[in-house]
Amino acid sequence: MPTNLISPAERDYILKGVEANVRADGRQRGDYREVSIETGIISQTSGSARVKIAGGTDMLVSVRAEIGPVLVDSETGDGADKGQIICSVECVPSASQGWEGRGADDVNNELSQIMARILSSGNAMVDSTSTDASSPSATSKPSSTPSSKGGAAGIDLSKLCIIPGRLCWILYIDALILDYGGNIIDALLMGTRAAIFDTQIPKTQLQEFGDGQFDFELQDDTEDMVTIEGRENMPICVTLNKIGARYIVDASPLEELVTEARLTIAVNKYGQVCGLQKSQEGCMEPSLLLEMIQSGKTMGQALIKQLDAKIEAEAATDLSMRMQGKPPQKYGFFAQ
Amino acid sequence: MLISLQRKDRASLEPAQGSFSHHRQHGLRIDGRRTTELRKIRSITSTLSQADGSAYLEHGNTKILAAVYGPREVRSKTNIIHERCYINVEFSMAPFSTTERRRRAKTDKRMLEIAQFVKQSFEPVVLTQIYPRSQVDIYLQILQHDGGILEACINATTLALMDAGVAMEDYVCACTAGWIDKEPALDLNSVEEAQDTSEMTVALLPKSGKIALLQMEARLHVDKLEEVLQLASDGCRQIHTVLDRTIRDRAEDLAHKMPSSS
Repeated sequence: MPTNLISPAERDYILKGVEANVRADGRQRGDYREVSIETGIISQTSGSARVKIAGGTDMLVSVRAEIGPVLVDSETGDGADKGQIICSVECVPSASQGWEGRGADDVNNELSQIMARILSSGNAMVDSTSTDASSPSATSKPSSTPSSKGGAAGIDLSKLCIIPGRLCWILYIDALILDYGGNIIDALLMGTRAAIFDTQIPKTQLQEFGDGQFDFELQDDTEDMVTIEGRENMPICVTLNKIGARYIVDASPLEELVTEARLTIAVNKYGQVCGLQKSQEGCMEPSLLLEMIQSGKTMGQALIKQLDAKIEAEAATDLSMRMQGKPPQKYGFFAQ
Repeated sequence: MLISLQRKDRASLEPAQGSFSHHRQHGLRIDGRRTTELRKIRSITSTLSQADGSAYLEHGNTKILAAVYGPREVRSKTNIIHERCYINVEFSMAPFSTTERRRRAKTDKRMLEIAQFVKQSFEPVVLTQIYPRSQVDIYLQILQHDGGILEACINATTLALMDAGVAMEDYVCACTAGWIDKEPALDLNSVEEAQDTSEMTVALLPKSGKIALLQMEARLHVDKLEEVLQLASDGCRQIHTVLDRTIRDRAEDLAHKMPSSS
């Protein structure tokens, strides 16, 4: 990512540290840094979240729901009754020296593509007849639509359709990377999950005028909004960095410079792998790959559990503040 | 009833239905301020880890993040100035910063103009001659836009430059004032800005009282000019006390954190 230099001594220190399972900041190989998340902090959006990993990485993710035409695939005729999700990631030059001017274009593009790919991984995986029998929660979710293909990351896109064949909700997910401290992709997906959980869109009512004419009415009632259907099925990802013969999670900027190969594993709460992405120039052995996928899966599941608990706790605090007639307290950038 | 409060903050960006007149009753403005009242300003420095200096500033609902890198080696040889440093300003707006989602190109004329104004206001104030053949980068990012972008940019830049330890002669404090409904008004928000109001942005050096930047939009009678300018200058001085407080608090905080030398 950003162009930084590393000395042979630092490189050696990190290599030996990873080998000995003690990293520069005292963590073990499988330890995450402290992640703080706050939702609902950008007032002009439908949903938003700020993710900060202790030691640097800081980003804002916003979700904005807008009404637009449906996107129909001209060949298959697919998509006439589906909403859309459009992702874009922007790295701000203030985050890193290498992102000045056009310098961030490649990174922006790479991150947007990864995000779009993970989010568009079919929710056919959230299938009640899934072979993954080890997760009982998967079978206890009959409400999810196992047959719908091309769904976005478990989000039920057909629920975002307003008038089939004409209008739908388009969810624009915009992420702004404000500060760089390593492990951007994991933070990005955590932020997206949190922002989607925060998102509320107005209800729409379909009206039929006869002779095939439809129109809809937007319910302007701010007390009666709907949440995004299927949001709990969204995956997050865990990025494993191969350093030497071992791999670590949540790499710091210096550790990312030593990384030979990186594997990003997207996993949903049922422990199903929703996407894989290997990057950087190094190679890895197939046996290590399988081991990495396995541990990425376990870590991801644990992480989703923690994340959801955090999001729920915040939503509960906000609600109780509103019950008392006070606006929910948001710290934003004043959080220490 | 309960949830209505929740959405209130989201709706506050848009003008309430039927209240398109600038002034409500009792001479209060659309957001409940008096004509000579500033919006609430909150700021904090050192918010980013990578930049040499950074600041986050909230001016009412306008929110901005400023980062400063440098003084450092000039990145492009063509920018070398032998007797002083080169100041580079980049300005951008988040796609979610306005009520309507829009992605702006890096070459948006209006954005380049704002960057140019910021550069011009800081060039005489930063002691550029003590950093010859080097470069100072200023990156500005609007997170939420509710009017008075230029003033917020300048105020945030002042804080970020000070946080980076760049030598400066003085603070640069900026404020807007305009003429609404036969009355001068301080610090316009986006609703007040939108309706062809005459608006003046002034950047002041509080110590010397010199004006570093002056920009006006729409027309204003020449007799009213002085009154508006005076009001904006008063606003700048008020902003100066707020910014000064932030810098001093930060310095005291750092002093406390330092291990006392025995």
